[in-house]
Amino acid sequence: MLVMSKIDALDRHALVLAVWLPLVLVATALFHHGFGVGGWPFIAAGFGVLIVAFAVHVIVNVMLGTLFTPREVALGLVVYCAALLAFGLTTLASPAFRTADAVPVSLGFLATALAVIITMILWLGLRGAFDSFDVIRRFKQ
Amino acid sequence: MTSLLAITLALFGAFALYIATQSAKSESSPAAYIDAGQSLPAWTYIFAGSGAMLASVGPYDFLRLLSSYGFQANQLALSLVFVALVMAVFQKRVWLAARITGSRSLGEVFGAHYQSTSIRIYLLVVLFLFAVPFAAMPLGSAGELLARASEGSLSRVAATSVVAAFLFLASALGGWRATVYIIAALSTVTLALLVFSASFASLVFDGLSVFHNGFSVREGILGNVLPGVIQFSSGIGREVPAGGLWTTTAVLSFALATVGAALSPSFAFLGLTMKSRSGFAFSQVWIISGLAAGALLLLGPIVAGEAGPAYDFAALATRFAAYDQLVGAFVIAMLMAMLLIAVAFFTTSGASIATIELLQRYVVLGLTPRGERFTVRITLAVIYAAVLVLAAFLPAGTAVLSTLALPLAAQLFPAYLGLCWLPWMSRSAVLVGLILGSLFVVFTEPPGLILFNGLFVELPWGRWPLTIHSAAWGLVINVAASLLVAIFTRQDAERERRNALHAVFRRDHRTNFGGRAARNAKWSLTLLWVFLALGPGAILGNTFFAQPAFTEADLSLGVPSLWVWQASFWIIGVMLVWWLAYRSELSTVEGAFRVRELQDLHGTAGARRQPRWIALLVTRLATRQNDTTSRTQRLR
Repeated sequence: MLVMSKIDALDRHALVLAVWLPLVLVATALFHHGFGVGGWPFIAAGFGVLIVAFAVHVIVNVMLGTLFTPREVALGLVVYCAALLAFGLTTLASPAFRTADAVPVSLGFLATALAVIITMILWLGLRGAFDSFDVIRRFKQ
Repeated sequence: MTSLLAITLALFGAFALYIATQSAKSESSPAAYIDAGQSLPAWTYIFAGSGAMLASVGPYDFLRLLSSYGFQANQLALSLVFVALVMAVFQKRVWLAARITGSRSLGEVFGAHYQSTSIRIYLLVVLFLFAVPFAAMPLGSAGELLARASEGSLSRVAATSVVAAFLFLASALGGWRATVYIIAALSTVTLALLVFSASFASLVFDGLSVFHNGFSVREGILGNVLPGVIQFSSGIGREVPAGGLWTTTAVLSFALATVGAALSPSFAFLGLTMKSRSGFAFSQVWIISGLAAGALLLLGPIVAGEAGPAYDFAALATRFAAYDQLVGAFVIAMLMAMLLIAVAFFTTSGASIATIELLQRYVVLGLTPRGERFTVRITLAVIYAAVLVLAAFLPAGTAVLSTLALPLAAQLFPAYLGLCWLPWMSRSAVLVGLILGSLFVVFTEPPGLILFNGLFVELPWGRWPLTIHSAAWGLVINVAASLLVAIFTRQDAERERRNALHAVFRRDHRTNFGGRAARNAKWSLTLLWVFLALGPGAILGNTFFAQPAFTEADLSLGVPSLWVWQASFWIIGVMLVWWLAYRSELSTVEGAFRVRELQDLHGTAGARRQPRWIALLVTRLATRQNDTTSRTQRLR
């Protein structure tokens, strides 16, 4: 992997943000409508958009010869776990949450996790994929 | 919806400030503030360049025109393909010329090549028009949109001021690099939300009905067809063209005006600040003529169809919000992003270029990098103040002045031709063309008409007589005069200097058109495409797919024949741009070059010469408080 200068790292960071910002907005709108009156097609599309954003992020990494930064991995894991937790709590505690939405959301979480894991294994191999998620060691470095 | 919109816009603001501070922290030296050290990566050109180009043409105004005129205005989306063609012809060679002659801006490139201060001054006038009135237009629209969307919580002036303050803060903090990053992100946001909102309208409510039922245009407007090849009207403001404004002649001449965006000093500056030219071809072919033109052509009608003939975009957002509040907020955010790209791009590039071309050259010579950064910030503040005053308090005057920006920039076409392809195009030829072309532009646009009608006599024509855009009126006379003068001055004293640059082009950067037949075929096809897609041939599209030639039968496609014609020529246009940009190597990276190879030869134009009256003024202002040295010492 390349050792990047400060400016190169900023270039990459800005590119990654330019990819995620619009797609997160679109995914948010899809989820919002999906949990409202839209139903499962919109929820599925929301997860689909997130997976597309992840795929583009991987393409950026491949083209620039970089890996996910520790901050990106940490942020991804935190957001994923928080969303999972929120989903679990809402399902159990909120009477307003429709049970019909539970299946597409569960499948969406599963599909996102699978997409991430499969992509990482194909891209970096088993050991490399595991290393990428070893955030604590990389932060210490 | 208001609170959701506020959160979305706050997110944009936070993002802009975050990028700006990161950029400020990462720059190793203040010298890079003004032009990012000419080392921006290719992806920024791909996104930001395309976004800035789209913003110059005005997607917001395009949606307005679609609402008012229907599918005849949709033809204007093909202008982007035409612009991409022109960019393919010039962009790479301008970048190379700048590197070879050691120039930092378009003014320096032209100044070095033509050895002309007058061309530099012309460029500064065009720059001013883009940086102030042209940028004030979208800022005013953004303020108005925000004020309406806030349902009275914000006044128009307050909304405009808040938007301007945020943009200024981000640009002033992060400089050119941060601004380009922000524009790149806003461009992707615009595209993604345009695709999303059009898809949403199609899926959730009857957004596609516009293709079956047409636009609900005003009485007398032909919404589904082009209203003729030309109309002998005396111009806007005097006579209303029957059936609508967008005749094929109007469309073609409008396309010539949009070329002005690609030839503007700001857009050239963006290109010159790229580290390499590797993003040019991709941007021209796939993003500008592919994605951007396609999105406007295919998705624009869906969004604009919902706005109605009054093109009320706040009402449009309300319509989306009736189905989902967040989607309504995002529609406003998309429109805001479209507008803010233009404001950020033209103001910040204006500040950088004005510092290089005007202040460093004539007013405060020998600036340190830190001083240079300070100067750009002050210039940016002045530009934003002017833009804000115009946008908030003088919308009518802004609208009048801004009409000159694109057509006057388009008049630079012969100068670009001379720089990139025709060494016999002399300084005199370019200058005569510029003067005559500009006169024609001014007198077929509101500023000239208002001034002349007010001061002297009433002119018998209005804006864009015969439905021909002012840019075309100017370009016809400009090109004719330039060629005529070039015949007599092609061997002038400067020819050797001009030849030197073209010798380097021939030596290291040859194009690959193939043989003579292939070359002729490529240019013939290009002209044929222009004729059929934008020119008089486009009139065939009115009925071509509804009442095909050589048959008695009528076809029922369920969509207007004109729209199918437009979509077909969009696809053909993308292939054509690809053929020229990639296969003919007009925009691809080939051949090495020697940086500043011709700097010495062209150096005299780069020498900074401060006029005496400016020197006196600066000295007087700078030393008034500490008047201990004698006047002669100060001037020495």
